[in-house]
Amino acid sequence: MKKIIALNVNEIPYELAVEPNRSLADVLRYDLGLTGTKKGCGIGDCGVCTVLMGGKPVFSCLVLAVEAQDHDILTIEGVAKGPELHPIQKAFVEKGAIQCGFCTPGMVLNALALLNKNADPTEHDIRLALSGSLCRCTGYQKIVEAVKTAADMMKRSGIIEEEAE
Amino acid sequence: MLPQFDIIQPRSLDEACEALTKYQSAGVVVLAGGTDLLVDMRKPLIPEHLPRCKGCDPRTGTAPRKVNKPPSYLIALSRIPEMSGIAVSEPGEISIGAMTTITDLCQSRIIREKLTALAQGADNLGSPLVRNRGTIGGNICNARPAADTFIPAVALGAKLELRSQRGLRLIPAQDFAVGPGKTVREEDEILTKIIFPVSADRTGSSCIKLANRKALEIAVVSAASLLTLDIKGKISSARIALGAVAPTPILTPKAAAFLSGKDPSDANFLKAGEIAVSECHPISDHRGSLDYRREMVSVLVSRSLAAAFASIIV
Repeated sequence: MKKIIALNVNEIPYELAVEPNRSLADVLRYDLGLTGTKKGCGIGDCGVCTVLMGGKPVFSCLVLAVEAQDHDILTIEGVAKGPELHPIQKAFVEKGAIQCGFCTPGMVLNALALLNKNADPTEHDIRLALSGSLCRCTGYQKIVEAVKTAADMMKRSGIIEEEAE
Repeated sequence: MLPQFDIIQPRSLDEACEALTKYQSAGVVVLAGGTDLLVDMRKPLIPEHLPRCKGCDPRTGTAPRKVNKPPSYLIALSRIPEMSGIAVSEPGEISIGAMTTITDLCQSRIIREKLTALAQGADNLGSPLVRNRGTIGGNICNARPAADTFIPAVALGAKLELRSQRGLRLIPAQDFAVGPGKTVREEDEILTKIIFPVSADRTGSSCIKLANRKALEIAVVSAASLLTLDIKGKISSARIALGAVAPTPILTPKAAAFLSGKDPSDANFLKAGEIAVSECHPISDHRGSLDYRREMVSVLVSRSLAAAFASIIV
């Protein structure tokens, strides 16, 4: 039986009727049209379905939509402010950290969760924070460099954000 | 796609126990963090990529973990506030709610200080995304032989509180699992908390995981040790638990008994490691061969003992 749930996605409140067996990833993509969240392995290995739930990265394929009720969800569509890319996104473009792009939404959101908590991460911190996301193109080096660059850009412009909770 | 089911999201433990009993005959499963359960319930997209389902050999003890008949009901414990959190429940006891996430364990100062092995086990579980959803109760109830928080819980002498409408009971962690994925938990019982004795002074612990990669991997071998010294600096007691070398997490009582009364020296730690090899029953699988696992038991036990000793604040 469908359940009515309230979801707050990218600061927009939604009320949705969802089947209990639908994942948050499916509801975001097919009900809300937010296809920036990708579906990959479906078993919590690849990280392309990453969204931030209460500021923490989670696999949206392994969260039931009915269990996401009352949580603030941030998807890749909510990262840029209007037409202006987020510094992390800019850094990914500048550093060539995007090739096929399939892992990029997950990588950016994992990086965002890290930089919201830790404005000055070491390379180890970055690699640890990204360890739940797989990339088959870049070999990770450029992604790590992009996150470092983003941290510098954010510090310079003073837009280290409050932890989205 | 997940099979069809209905979900019950109780607000209290009493409600949860009631629902679990009520829907028993219809087929019901308890949902904690979902990072294992939802994987198991999902029809494998590419079955050959899931060795634990398709390629599993019953002989090796790694039984398929697919839920055979999809449950009609899931009981989600996420909305029961009393089920998560870390508390010093009584003097000399730390009580961890079963729904406490692995990330919460990693970030807790008291766990890192008093139950170091558990914090280290939690550090090694899955990836940050798994740790943000996965729970200690779920990890223990899944009873995988390599479960990253289960091994330290056994070493640290934890007790598990199981609750049902029939009442409460406490099970020592080392007696909980009876086979891969199988436990003594009855179908109407919920694991509510994991209670750890807080170590006395001159006590240290450590957990080391050997895996083929650093994240999202199941241990080839893991070893957790708890070491207590007497006033003279000799070992007064030791407990060593091993993962991934038997159908369940195991203790190595002979190795622990050997250490009792001895000096905490590298030579004694090495000897204890050798003794522990005789107490494990590993298998060969795609993660590592039987012989390799036996070698690594010896290495990891001695290293985890040395690390437990090094963590003792005198």
